[in-house]
Amino acid sequence: MTIKVRFFARFRELLGTDLIIDYQVGATLAPFIRDIAKKNKDGYDALFDEHGTFREFVIIMRNGKRVERGDAALLPLADGDEIAIFPPVAGG
Amino acid sequence: MITIQKEDVDIGKLIEDAKRAGTGAIVVFDGIVRDDDIREMELEAYEEVARAEMEKIAEEATRQHHLLHVDIIHRIGKLAVGENILIIVVSAGHRPDAYAGSRYIIEEIKKHVPIWKKELRKDGDRWVPGEHPHGAGTPG
Repeated sequence: MTIKVRFFARFRELLGTDLIIDYQVGATLAPFIRDIAKKNKDGYDALFDEHGTFREFVIIMRNGKRVERGDAALLPLADGDEIAIFPPVAGG
Repeated sequence: MITIQKEDVDIGKLIEDAKRAGTGAIVVFDGIVRDDDIREMELEAYEEVARAEMEKIAEEATRQHHLLHVDIIHRIGKLAVGENILIIVVSAGHRPDAYAGSRYIIEEIKKHVPIWKKELRKDGDRWVPGEHPHGAGTPG
């Protein structure tokens, strides 16, 4: 299946954005992002703590809808999903 | 007009266009790049989600505060000190609704709209921390 990953702000600088990833069917959100983030240690450490859990301030969206951090580990991904990962917002 | 764009806007024209039948007050909020010893500010948005969130905020402000017209223009890209970042124009029958509606919109934008600012400083660049650590949309 194909998943689009968009990182923003500081996470984008560390990990890139608009990544189109071919990945195994049946994957869930958090392990998938851990796998993507492993390419850059600073990027990985910005997103995950020492247990591999999303840090408290990391915001996750799937197809434009907020995902609770606690649900991310088991949330199954579907072909065509867009996952966005970003730090707290600071507009205005 | 609810939009995210690089270009500046003509605020005078927005005010004229916000005058509707029944308008008794228009409030303009203009957020500006402040000279905090920076060279420029760079803004980035998750545009589709940010626009949708701003539309929801405008609808809720209209409902709660009986607004007759709302414009929200949030700029992105590189902006110099003194440039406009965010322009909110609201029109209402009476000033309490116009002030309250404008205030509601800016505070909700700061909580929920996925936009980020980076200060390009003389002594190094810095992402501006969010005021609401758990903001940006609602679960579900």
